[in-house]
Amino acid sequence: MAEGYPPRDDEMEEEEEEVDETSYKSVKDAVLFAIEVSESMLTPRVSSDPKKTAKESPTTAALKCAYHLMQQRIISNPRDMIGVLLYGTEASKFYGEDESSRGDLSYPHCYLFTDLDVPAAEDVKKLRSLVEEEEKAQEILVASKEKVSMANVLFCANQIFTSKASNFLSRRLFIVSDNDDPHSDNKAQRSAATVRARDLYDLGVTIELFPISRSDHEFDTSRFYDDIIYKSSPTDADAPAYLQPDTKVATATDNGISLLNSLLSSINSRSVPRRALFSNVPLEIGPNFKISINGYLMFKRQEPARSCYVWLGGETPQIAKGVTTQIADDTARTVEKWEIRKAYKFGGEQVTFTADEQQVLRTFGDPVIRIIGFKPLSALPFWANVKHPTFIYPTEEDFVGSTRVFSALQQKLAKDQKLALVWFIPRRNAAPVLAAMLAGVEKVDENGVQKFPPGMWLIPLPFADDVRQNPDTTLTVAPEPLIDQMRAVVQQLQLPKAVYEPQKYPNPSLQWHYRILQALALDEDLPEQPEDKTVPKYRQIDKRAGDYVLAWSDELDKQYEKLSAGVTKTSTLVKRPAGDRSGKEEGTRPAKKVKAETPANIDEEVQKSFDKGMVSRLTMAVLKDFLTAHGRSTAGKKADLVERVEEFLEYKS
Amino acid sequence: MADKEATVYIVDVGKSMGKHRHGRAKTDLEWGMEYVWDKITTTVATGRKTATVGVVGLRTDGTENELQADDSFEHISVIQNIGQVLMPDIRKLREVLKPSSTDAGDAVSSIVLAIQMISSYTKRLKYKRKIVLVTNAEGLMNNDGIDEIAKKIKEDGIELVILGVDFDDPEYGVKEEDKDSQKAYNETLLRALVEDCEGVFGTLEQAIEELDIPRIKVIKSNPSFKGFLQLGDAEEYSTAFRIPVERYYKTYVAKAPPASQFALRSDTSTGFESAESSATVAPQPNAQEGQESTLTTVRSLRTYQITDESAPGGKVDVERDDLAKGYEYGRTAVHISETDENITVLETFAALELIGFVQSDKYDRYMHISNVNVIIAQRTNDKAILALSSFIHALFELDCYAVARLVVKENKAPLVVLLAPSIEPDYECLHEVQLPFAEDVRTYRFPPLDKVITVSGKVITEHRNLPNDALLDAMSEYVDSMELVDVDENGEPVETLPIDDSYSALVHRLDSAIRYRAVHPQGPVPPPSDILTRFSLPPENLVKKGEKYLENLIAAAEVKKVPPKAKGRKRTRETEKPLSGLDVDELLHQEKRVKISPNNAIPEFKQTLSHADDLNTVKDAVNQMVVIIQDQIRHSLGDANYDRAIEGLSTMRDELIAYEWPKLYNDFLQQLKEDILQEKLGGDRRELWWLIRRTKVGLIDKTMSDQSEISEEEARKFMSAK
Repeated sequence: MAEGYPPRDDEMEEEEEEVDETSYKSVKDAVLFAIEVSESMLTPRVSSDPKKTAKESPTTAALKCAYHLMQQRIISNPRDMIGVLLYGTEASKFYGEDESSRGDLSYPHCYLFTDLDVPAAEDVKKLRSLVEEEEKAQEILVASKEKVSMANVLFCANQIFTSKASNFLSRRLFIVSDNDDPHSDNKAQRSAATVRARDLYDLGVTIELFPISRSDHEFDTSRFYDDIIYKSSPTDADAPAYLQPDTKVATATDNGISLLNSLLSSINSRSVPRRALFSNVPLEIGPNFKISINGYLMFKRQEPARSCYVWLGGETPQIAKGVTTQIADDTARTVEKWEIRKAYKFGGEQVTFTADEQQVLRTFGDPVIRIIGFKPLSALPFWANVKHPTFIYPTEEDFVGSTRVFSALQQKLAKDQKLALVWFIPRRNAAPVLAAMLAGVEKVDENGVQKFPPGMWLIPLPFADDVRQNPDTTLTVAPEPLIDQMRAVVQQLQLPKAVYEPQKYPNPSLQWHYRILQALALDEDLPEQPEDKTVPKYRQIDKRAGDYVLAWSDELDKQYEKLSAGVTKTSTLVKRPAGDRSGKEEGTRPAKKVKAETPANIDEEVQKSFDKGMVSRLTMAVLKDFLTAHGRSTAGKKADLVERVEEFLEYKS
Repeated sequence: MADKEATVYIVDVGKSMGKHRHGRAKTDLEWGMEYVWDKITTTVATGRKTATVGVVGLRTDGTENELQADDSFEHISVIQNIGQVLMPDIRKLREVLKPSSTDAGDAVSSIVLAIQMISSYTKRLKYKRKIVLVTNAEGLMNNDGIDEIAKKIKEDGIELVILGVDFDDPEYGVKEEDKDSQKAYNETLLRALVEDCEGVFGTLEQAIEELDIPRIKVIKSNPSFKGFLQLGDAEEYSTAFRIPVERYYKTYVAKAPPASQFALRSDTSTGFESAESSATVAPQPNAQEGQESTLTTVRSLRTYQITDESAPGGKVDVERDDLAKGYEYGRTAVHISETDENITVLETFAALELIGFVQSDKYDRYMHISNVNVIIAQRTNDKAILALSSFIHALFELDCYAVARLVVKENKAPLVVLLAPSIEPDYECLHEVQLPFAEDVRTYRFPPLDKVITVSGKVITEHRNLPNDALLDAMSEYVDSMELVDVDENGEPVETLPIDDSYSALVHRLDSAIRYRAVHPQGPVPPPSDILTRFSLPPENLVKKGEKYLENLIAAAEVKKVPPKAKGRKRTRETEKPLSGLDVDELLHQEKRVKISPNNAIPEFKQTLSHADDLNTVKDAVNQMVVIIQDQIRHSLGDANYDRAIEGLSTMRDELIAYEWPKLYNDFLQQLKEDILQEKLGGDRRELWWLIRRTKVGLIDKTMSDQSEISEEEARKFMSAK
């Protein structure tokens, strides 16, 4: 907290506000991959393009997906479970059973490679070695000569879910297969499988299919899988209604790479359980006219998990679970939640309310989205924003006909470029906000896969209390020639298609955090260079816009001279522009390692001192300016700053 | 830092202030105090030592002031010397400020006293000085030396505010009929005084009405970033540019006053024992008085546990000192030694670096995911201001936004932000908002709203989920009729959102409640002022205008409320077929599952119930489940089977609610509780009972099922008792 940075947010308060969103996140999900191992699944799909030599069999592609998802979910959903079950293998393995066990195998040709659990580093390692090491693969990835019974596979999955993921709200079985009719010749087996599928459905497990076509045959779900897949999960009422399968069936002509990519993209799109942030909230279009909608959180800043405490007293490090108890200060007795009273500091004392009063103070009515009128979309300023938006989509749960009415409203708002001003209370006891409701139209990518769904967005508006005044400053409008030069620069550097694609920018610090953790957990070498897609492409910028920047810079010098000449001439109250002060000018100048025209250039001054070994003679102001100019911290005592400057210059030379 | 303040409130407590006038329920004094309390408590709420207040009583029975040697200062008492006001002072003021039994005392003299108080307290230091007089102007006033007084007020820089009960104010629309001539004289005199020293003179009614408008705290922001807006890498290329900039909040959600946690002291809270045994304790509302002694702060005590199979209960406590810092990677603990503490922190340097530009009309407004900041060029650096201005105008002219990478401080996580130009006649800046990273986007997919695509891929445009032309037209007309039109001061329509007129309901509600409670420890807190809920309903005139279009819309929409009964179970039934529509029930019948097998209990239990033709089958299935659950508990190693048992319980509970036979479940749960507490199910299973409470699979009460004999109260008691 060095120089007047704004104070950290009151964390307690923050938690109180966000509580619902975290509980929403804590809805745990368990995904079990069931990957078929068969001759055709093990046959690499060779690329038609001779340049792309990468070979990939459907099974290894699926395993890579599982590996990828496992890593990804450690970051995004650290409490979620994942498991990998191979079926159709020569070998069999289930809890405590394998070929060497006595007696009959419960699930022949089912190989539980990774047990369903929150993955451990060991699991990640094992799965990776199966994907990457030939030997390991040859040992396990061997197709059985005997046919595997789908009923058995499904029941095996049932047992895994029952024992490992009891009470999970979301349980999903991801089946990856290229066999669209496993029991074409055996009606009894087929019936048994449909019954086992029904068991899974009744257990609350959703089956999601990732079909792969064979070179001679398109995958046809109607031959078998339409009998075992159900429309929605019976236990999770908040899951949105069934959708068109968004997976393109990976086609026969797919080479290894595109097979992997298409699998990855469809798995990614289903990697997070689809759950609502709030459900069945009435959208009140007019007095006495309501429809029901669900709300979803489409954007949520993902943060690295907090650090925890590790106990090192045993053989393996163990996470110590913190337990908080509330105790009264006077007698140190434990206080139950209902005993706790909220009090507010006032005039040196505490002002309190009873729990009931507290409740009343926070209540402004039942959850609702109430339209209070319409405005043109242009009325919504860029700056009127305080947090992420909420996406809403209709549900027929409370009001039949909601969907068509919602659709009519959405179409009208989209067509006429209007927004609805709404009074928005997302859940019981939530503080009401005024929000702008806008239509969102469906966006699809080049493959026709939906990127953003059609629906509407609620953008919470700031209250008058939330708007800060502009900081005072002086205004000097740039003259036309200078703007013209800058325009040329801007025109050179448009992003592809002139849009921002979030998918292209992974969060560098989040990725680095987990990359390091992974290396530590798996005993790998630490990576040296982080991959950071947010770093601008300097070479391209130089190539494309370099000349224009120089032209702008010259114009800036010219205009500035004119301006300061004007100032000194007309004004006698000489408050000289800061730019003239020594050491500052570097600021606006293009940081050409400059043609030594300004003797007082700060970089040079510091460099000179450094060469003479006299950095410590520089003043604090110079040191600070120098460090700030290079994005370095200016916290600490003078010795710290000197050290930092020296380090920087040493590294540079 | 806010300025130091010194305010003296002069409250007229004369006998006549105790009267009720013009049919008001409040006496003049009570009415006036509404204003005074509001102002004083607002000051107290800031908690600032330098926001000082003094209070003078006018027309008091006694006399107590530093100028009392002069008899024109009779019946004026200093009640509160200038200083920070705290709760005991508020209690004292509440006691003292009551109508007196005299009407003697000169308002003009009280102003002189207040000037004296302020000038001896503030000396010549920088202060915001203010005198507020609330009176009904009914006593005798002496205008001797009034010009001198006005001059002094102006010299000292004091703001004089005089608010009068039923003062005439033609602008606001108050005129007191049959006004007492003395009062009329006094009003004129006071008005002249105020006008001479450029103060505020008003009628009380207006002042009190204005109290309802929430006051917005003006917060001076500090820059959250000072550094360079740069294009290209200045260390590597000679073609990079850097403009020194500063970043400030544009929007930042105002926080409600923070609360701290307290509990009743054990030694003073009688009735605590009885409270504990009841399930519905609410702290006694009358415990407000003398609260310092009855409340004690609540502290959080954190202990740490690790799993140890050999220990009873499977967990042991460990000392905080034996723990090292680390992170979870999946379920593996990764320990990080102190020397490597920052190993997972990405090395970054502070800067605002341009990545590229996007077209503003292609940007989707819903991608904004944070509050908004203002970015301006380094202040007093004219060259930087000039440079940034050219950037702002270039963006504006090209209809572009910039995408940039922002690191606010060395080694802080980089953010991707969007920069938009903002040009006003007297202000130019960039507005900056954060954009989502790849990991921040959740994929939800929903069917189109303007067409229906069938399983076979056919596109349908007429469907019950799609609006027909009649509905589209009705909606269009309704939306058009409900257009909000705001006008500015000149009556010109403006296309802006009413952000300036909307106030944070929670913040102001709590703020005023706290201040009210401080002055009125007893009695209910008044409801929120109308202004806070102004936007909770559409404006009346608009509703009227849209009425007939709404009727049309409702008719075209044909929306029907789903009756409560049909919700839930009955309707999910229809989805209980696979995509092909195959009748799996038929197959299940053939399988003839007689007994529910423990390893497939939940599906088989559900299936058995759905085929049950008679009550005995249901009963039998429930009995089987009961045995299975009991076995699971009995044979559970530690808590291994608890989740499974809970899942069994909740399935039974849901099904039996649906089958309207809550008694079967309730009987079992009551038995189960007893068994657990008496350790009949394989030892100490109290943790399971705790889990049952937490997962809320308690008794089915009357609100959930008509058939239940258990009241909500009983169900709650059952769960809370240990």
